[in-house]
Amino acid sequence: MKKIEAIIKPFKLDDVKDGLSGLGIKGLTVTEVKGFGRQRGHKEVYRGAEYQVDFVSKIKIEIVMESSLVAEAVKMIQEKARTGQIGDGKIFIVPVEEVVRIRTGETGKEAI
Amino acid sequence: MTSAFEELKESKEHLTVLLSDGGVPHNFQETYTEIIDQYFRMSLQESETAHALFKAKTPFAVIAVGGYGRKELCLYSDIDIQIVFGPKIPSSAKQLAEEIFFPLWNLGLDLGYGIRSIKDSIALSRDDFEVLTSVMDARFVGGHSPIYLSLVETLQKKVVSKKAVGLGRWLEDQYKVRIHTFGDASHLLEPNLKEGIGTLRDYHYILWLARAFFNLRAPRDLEYMGILSHNEYKTLCDHLALIWLVRNQLHQLSGRKNDRMAFEYQEEIAKRLGFKDQKDLLAVENFLGGVHVSMASIKSLYQSFITSHISRWRGIKKDVDKKDTVAGLHLSQGELNVNSGTTVLSNPFLLIQVFEQSSRLDCHLSMEAKRLIREFLFLVDDAFRKSEKMTQCFINIMTMEKTVETLDQMYETGFLEAFIPEFGKIINRVQFDAYHIFPVGRHALETVRHLKRLSKEKDILLIDIFSDLPHPETLFLAGLFHDIGKIGKDHARKGIAITRNILKRFGYDKKRAEDILFLVGHHLFLVETATRRDLNDEKVVIQCARTIGDVERLKMLYLLTWADSKATGPGAWSEWVANLVQELFFKSLHVLIEGELASPRAAHQVRKTQSGVRKLIGGHIDDRDIEGLFEAMSPRYLLETGPHDIVRHHALVGQLKERLKNSQAPVFVFEAREEPRQGCWEVIFLAKDRPGLFSDITGVMALNHINILSAHIYTWREGTAVDIFRVTNPLDPIHPDETWKRIKRDLRNAFTGKLSLDYRLSQKAAPCILPPRKKPSRPPKVVVNNESSDFFSLIEIFADDHVGLLYRITHTLFKLNLDIRIAKIATKADQIADVFYVRDLDGQKLEDSKQIEEITQALIQQLNQR
Repeated sequence: MKKIEAIIKPFKLDDVKDGLSGLGIKGLTVTEVKGFGRQRGHKEVYRGAEYQVDFVSKIKIEIVMESSLVAEAVKMIQEKARTGQIGDGKIFIVPVEEVVRIRTGETGKEAI
Repeated sequence: MTSAFEELKESKEHLTVLLSDGGVPHNFQETYTEIIDQYFRMSLQESETAHALFKAKTPFAVIAVGGYGRKELCLYSDIDIQIVFGPKIPSSAKQLAEEIFFPLWNLGLDLGYGIRSIKDSIALSRDDFEVLTSVMDARFVGGHSPIYLSLVETLQKKVVSKKAVGLGRWLEDQYKVRIHTFGDASHLLEPNLKEGIGTLRDYHYILWLARAFFNLRAPRDLEYMGILSHNEYKTLCDHLALIWLVRNQLHQLSGRKNDRMAFEYQEEIAKRLGFKDQKDLLAVENFLGGVHVSMASIKSLYQSFITSHISRWRGIKKDVDKKDTVAGLHLSQGELNVNSGTTVLSNPFLLIQVFEQSSRLDCHLSMEAKRLIREFLFLVDDAFRKSEKMTQCFINIMTMEKTVETLDQMYETGFLEAFIPEFGKIINRVQFDAYHIFPVGRHALETVRHLKRLSKEKDILLIDIFSDLPHPETLFLAGLFHDIGKIGKDHARKGIAITRNILKRFGYDKKRAEDILFLVGHHLFLVETATRRDLNDEKVVIQCARTIGDVERLKMLYLLTWADSKATGPGAWSEWVANLVQELFFKSLHVLIEGELASPRAAHQVRKTQSGVRKLIGGHIDDRDIEGLFEAMSPRYLLETGPHDIVRHHALVGQLKERLKNSQAPVFVFEAREEPRQGCWEVIFLAKDRPGLFSDITGVMALNHINILSAHIYTWREGTAVDIFRVTNPLDPIHPDETWKRIKRDLRNAFTGKLSLDYRLSQKAAPCILPPRKKPSRPPKVVVNNESSDFFSLIEIFADDHVGLLYRITHTLFKLNLDIRIAKIATKADQIADVFYVRDLDGQKLEDSKQIEEITQALIQQLNQR
């Protein structure tokens, strides 16, 4: 099992979500996050006062899935979240040791 | 004979079943209290210890206190009971307690009990207000009644009468604690039914205070002693009955003593109480709206009771009474009063003036004043609502410092609803979600509250924007009306029509009314655009700026967005959303200030062009495709190109797409057309865009002695470069086609690497034996401008013109990894004034000053070469 963590632009969330459910992925976790990478924050000046924005608002989605699905899911996220501009985000893939569904106690594949 | 315990068990079960079946006895609490009373009476008869105690002349009384004393037992309420002895507690008292209390525990009831002497009880009450209030509710249940009477009498004489003012202060503090801990239940979507402001506790406070100050015995005395009017008392009872009913249901559903009505229970309670879904309104929303009405009414009654009956006992400052008010009104006890009903009848203007004065003097209306207003609301008819005097008065209130407090009082007395009936429709409308914490009407008032507090905000940006507004009242009215259309879907649009009616009735200034209507109709526009669209796309921002149209509106919309979100709930205005909205605000602001792309004139021009295009090709292409086409064009292109040219370019793009389908090699479309009147040619070039493309074209032109006079290069959305050049006549005016053919061939070769532009051009520029003609020359100038656009760095170049110059410039930019997205090339005589809109290959502006210096120097070096 793997966990995919993807940082994407907020307005791309619906596209990515639709794309993933098209692949039969049934659940994902969405978080509103802030950060910066190569896309820097920016500074604004209004009536002489400066407003520095250090962090850019992004969406983080997390999905745990069977390893066999990962390639397809990553491709889908990349395709749907891409604008070709800076700040399109990143996709991280990390191994997952175990999953337990709290209600039933099921583990592994069944619990995803 | 059944035992006391069995009878209790049976009766309680029966009552519980009734509750879940919806066949609730009209007064569950009293019935349940009666059952418990009955148990105690029977168990006293059964108890041998009790008999022994009476025989031993150590009599006692079983006394209900707290909620049980008030006969307010809900399904899982604690049962507070005391066994009180005369002078001293005998040793067998403990056994008595075990005999009569243990069975209750077995039944799972929460029992709070005490065994005390009268003296202890009095002493405890004196030291602790909490104990005092509980004992003040004492009610005789069984045993020896003279003990009960003695307790009550002593308590009244020795404690209550002496501590009335202290109790008043303590309750005042407790009220503040409740606001802090439980909030105002009358507009919370998950209210606490017992402790929240506007709930049972408010009523208890009234009872305790009336007991302390007026020696009240039973709740009914509130009416009999003239503390509340008949109507007020009756209304209070009705509202309390609803809350108790709901509380019992909540207890049953949660299976425990739970007074916080969380979302998960609300739908079921609404169903059990017989609420049904209606068009645009869920049963649960309707239900919660009703509960809020009850709570608001109780809260209002409590506050009026305090100001009218209690404050004077505490010696309130009366300085305020000396202030002047208008005829027909007077100040007393720090409150505003209406002289009499007849004054209102002869001068209905007072009905709104009283609020204006309350706002101006910063003092609340007295209970009597509120009563009179309610009674005379029938005077608020169509003529009243239309009268200029009245509406002006209302507008004045909107601009005063205490607007929100006054609106609150207008709301409480029903005046707001009478004066603006449209507002009545949304006042108690609830949205059943975890996002909104207030019903719609309260949310509107909260929005105004936030707008009113703007000048005291911590965020300087908000303060600065606010202080820029010439007419803040416009914003306040927009805040009040922004959700007035929330009687179904698409509420912003519905709100426009409703608000238009109101403002028309008000005879409100037309221009400002338009602003308000715009704000109402677009109050979600900034948030939606910021969170759902690509803010790095210039087109999105330009369209946003065009929709908003001017700087004032943008500023007001930003502030309204902020206040609206703040008033929605803690989740609605996170820093995350704030960042996005602020980014859109600044970008739109810059576009609007720059003016060129989003001025009303520009917007008009674009609309005209679009309708021109529709007329020309409307018959051949369906509407949706035309809209898609406009969507694909860059905003500058649409502004700067006429309809005929657009149609022509569209056809050429079609050709290009055809060629792209059939070929792997780089393809392009090239068309040259003579413009005899202007003595030049127009060249159109289309290809799939890539960095360096523009540079290649300028190189090929230079190679063929074509001088570029002006150029507009655009990129359509799917990455098609559409470049439009005005160029000098070919050297061979008789056979221009030969030149164009050669250019096309050179372009093909340059694109496929069969022709080196650098090499050919250097060959071409090889020193000529003829000396160059002397011309006056000015040093070249290069300026990198980062202020004019949020999306591009502008490189502005001024220099003497010569063949090949444009190639050198664009080639240099290409080699420095800059992507030219827009170019405006202009030549005047032999001077060029070119502007290039560039970004780096990541799509970012040039921020690094070293990089900017490098670019500038590289360009100047090129410009100095001949």
